[in-house]
Amino acid sequence: MNENEFGYRVRQALNEATERLDYTTTYRLEKARSAALARQRAPGPATIRLPARQTAGVPSFETRSGNSWLRGLGLVTPLVALIVGFIGIYQWQEERRISELADLDFAVLLDEVPIGAYADKGFSVLLQGETDEL
Amino acid sequence: MASREELSDFLASVERRAFKQAQFAVRDADAALDIVQDAMMKLAENYGDRPSAELPPLFTRILQNVIHDFFRRQKVRSTWITLFSALTGKDEEDDSDPLETLEAASGSEGAESAADKVERSQVVAIIEEEVARLPARQREAFLMRYWEDMDVAETAAVMGCSEGSVKTHCSRATHALARALRARGITL
Repeated sequence: MNENEFGYRVRQALNEATERLDYTTTYRLEKARSAALARQRAPGPATIRLPARQTAGVPSFETRSGNSWLRGLGLVTPLVALIVGFIGIYQWQEERRISELADLDFAVLLDEVPIGAYADKGFSVLLQGETDEL
Repeated sequence: MASREELSDFLASVERRAFKQAQFAVRDADAALDIVQDAMMKLAENYGDRPSAELPPLFTRILQNVIHDFFRRQKVRSTWITLFSALTGKDEEDDSDPLETLEAASGSEGAESAADKVERSQVVAIIEEEVARLPARQREAFLMRYWEDMDVAETAAVMGCSEGSVKTHCSRATHALARALRARGITL
């Protein structure tokens, strides 16, 4: 008889022994099982962790695709706002520069500027002051 | 993920074997029941949300750990008892009733089965006795392989040893058990 066959026969005997357990033992095993089941770790949603920014203002039953859409929107919106802001600042600076040049041209055309002023470093400042007075 | 019913069914399917294994190890029915209950609770508390397929190896490992913990606690307790009895002298020892020991021995499963008139019951009881007499590691390997139906790799993982060691333990257990049973007139 080989090892496996011997093991199988011992197994049969041991299984037979478990069937002959007395009532007290089986009752206590049953009680132990009930006590263990009462302590079973709760399965399901309690173990799912979501970042706060996803759950804020979003129903908990939101699907995964809905969440990813919102996450994409949350990332794109500030980026768009930043680009629009940069364009706005650039436009405002351009308009200001054009306006300054126009003022200078206007003063020169009216001949209100002394000739020596053209060589002066503070010429533009003078022009600015005079333009404000106008 | 194991539902409550699945976990219940699983525990119901293994509880008797677990009890017997614990009893073989600690040789005390009450302690074995406590061990099984402890193992069941640990499984439900810590791994109750695992898939059903993962439960058998987890439970076997937990059961073995709880049995080992029992022996560790027993060792510590016996150390303290030895220490106290050495300090208190021999008067304390006289309080114990020698009949209690005799009653416990006669109430054990092996003795009950020996009194049984059914031949098969006697054979089963003798096999149980001899399995219980095997060295702990050999018995663990043998029972996991042939009773729990675990393969060599799973048994090695639970026992924390190599697959070669599992094979050696199993082989030695088989030969020792066969020799012991033959000596008692039982041939399987």
